[in-house]
Amino acid sequence: MCADLSRTPRTLLVCDRSSFLDHKNRVSSQVEQLHFIYKVSVLLPECNSASSSLDSVFNSFTSFYLIRKLPIYELLDKDFLQSAVYQGSVHGLSFRTRIDEDNCVALMPNGRLTLSLDKDSFELLGFEGKPSRFNHRSCSRFEVSVDLTDSSMAPGGRGYLRLLTGLKSHLQLQTDFLLSHHPGGGASLQALLSRYDWSEHKPKVSRRCLSNLVCPAPRSCDPHSLLEWLGAVDADVRCENSSSSFLSSFVCPEANTTLGHALSVSVSGLLLPHDVQRLIQELRCYLQQPQLESWVSLTVHGFTDSLVSWGGSEHGALIGGQDFYSLLMFHDHTYRLYLSTATCHTCPP
Amino acid sequence: MSVFMDLNLLFSEDRTRLQNLVETAAHLGFSTVAVNYVFEPSAKKKQEVPAPRPINELIGQLPVVQGRSRPIRVLNRLTVVMSDASHFRPNAPEYRRFDLLAVQPTTEKLFHAACMLHDVDIICISVTEKLPFFFKRAPINGAIDRGVVFEISYAAAIRDATMRRYTIANAVCLMESCKGKNVILASAAEKALELRGPYDIINLGQLFGLSDSDSKESVSSTCRGVLLHAETRKTASGVVFTMKIQQEALQDSADSEAPAAKRAKAT
Repeated sequence: MCADLSRTPRTLLVCDRSSFLDHKNRVSSQVEQLHFIYKVSVLLPECNSASSSLDSVFNSFTSFYLIRKLPIYELLDKDFLQSAVYQGSVHGLSFRTRIDEDNCVALMPNGRLTLSLDKDSFELLGFEGKPSRFNHRSCSRFEVSVDLTDSSMAPGGRGYLRLLTGLKSHLQLQTDFLLSHHPGGGASLQALLSRYDWSEHKPKVSRRCLSNLVCPAPRSCDPHSLLEWLGAVDADVRCENSSSSFLSSFVCPEANTTLGHALSVSVSGLLLPHDVQRLIQELRCYLQQPQLESWVSLTVHGFTDSLVSWGGSEHGALIGGQDFYSLLMFHDHTYRLYLSTATCHTCPP
Repeated sequence: MSVFMDLNLLFSEDRTRLQNLVETAAHLGFSTVAVNYVFEPSAKKKQEVPAPRPINELIGQLPVVQGRSRPIRVLNRLTVVMSDASHFRPNAPEYRRFDLLAVQPTTEKLFHAACMLHDVDIICISVTEKLPFFFKRAPINGAIDRGVVFEISYAAAIRDATMRRYTIANAVCLMESCKGKNVILASAAEKALELRGPYDIINLGQLFGLSDSDSKESVSSTCRGVLLHAETRKTASGVVFTMKIQQEALQDSADSEAPAAKRAKAT
């Protein structure tokens, strides 16, 4: 038996092609499905600097809070539930917790609290959960998923008290936590924040001007090569395949043109799907202006250590992987959307 | 999945070298490591089992694991290289001072004995020479049932090209017999440069014939299983364990006044 090295881990890519003018297009619902967004990168060909309206959208992404050593039972606090969770506008994710090593927590805007625990922690907690789908021979990872808006989890209810006791006394789970509130109102979080060490962060925006960029024809290029090329541009990898460089043998796909200049902007932090929707609208307006190049690409990356994948399903990390999607928009309101997932068990919408 | 562990860092008298090893391991992302004292008894002269040095003597401040907030955990391990049946004395009191116990058998009979009889946690497969015997399914399955794991170390492969061939050949041979169960991959590193990160070792495991998930388990869950197995070795059926308390405390309580109590009548 020799090792089968030609087989690489399977990934899944869903390609969607439609037009914004078609009323049945599903872009908004698809964009909403990726809850925890780490980075948004935009590639604007033949552009030196972003227009002021585009700049203002980049700079107006909702800021988020980092709470250090938050005990997780605080997320079940009555006031916090009333003012933030029941309104359906809080995103939260544990920070600096590895999905395959540590216990991770995620709070979704629909009121769903998900905990991914290792075996010892799950047995200590004493709340019902199920084994992870990504377990191999032995069950070493468990998932506890609770709908906080459900009547059984109302404060004072049996399920609520059981989970609260579990998190308070049996398993004192404490992690750094990233929290974001929409729409841009942090007042309801102040009560929670005032009790712990917290800091507010604005998403980091970075701009890069690229010159003499070789690019493929976006309409005729096949999805995999196009996404590889987009990734190479984003990661600043040279695509010349020169003999002096042994690090990269990436080559730009065929049927290519050379752009004089291009602008690459990326925003990173805990970002909200709502802000991504606004950016898409703004980019559509930008594309309506008469100009030479007629396409724009937007790539949205999820967190590698996120608990949840597309639509709230479980995200496992065998070797490593992010969920991401790439939206290629054209001048004539048509678009191509490529949705990808790291593991082959969940399917993007 | 559990945290990443490297259960074989060779002990050396040089304190800075050991400190570098542990710091590199913490930087690479390992949460638990074990310092390995190799003991090779020879028939000629009587040798004593080395005593483990306390960790706080060897390394001052334990470094924090990269990406987490806990310091790295350092354990002690003893490896007995057996070339004769008398080399490993079961239930020897010197073995109790170590957290983990491993044997490296050199003949088929010793391998069979180690798999089925001896009370050890890890069986090391030699990677520096061609395997002197073939693996048979029966002792390997027996070891798997008992919870004993097989260890493949990769630092020799980094040092020398010939060792690389032996490592891969021996490892593939082992995987054919054990089907990827109960295997751990460890470094046996002498220097900090011979350590590799956990994800690189997962890829290396695939070269040895392990599947993706088996390979990841060999660096995390199986190692956790070894630690639990080692803890229960010192207990009675894994339920009760005894701990020696200080002698001074006993003396004090004997001296303090206790009211005279009736003795129970022996019937």
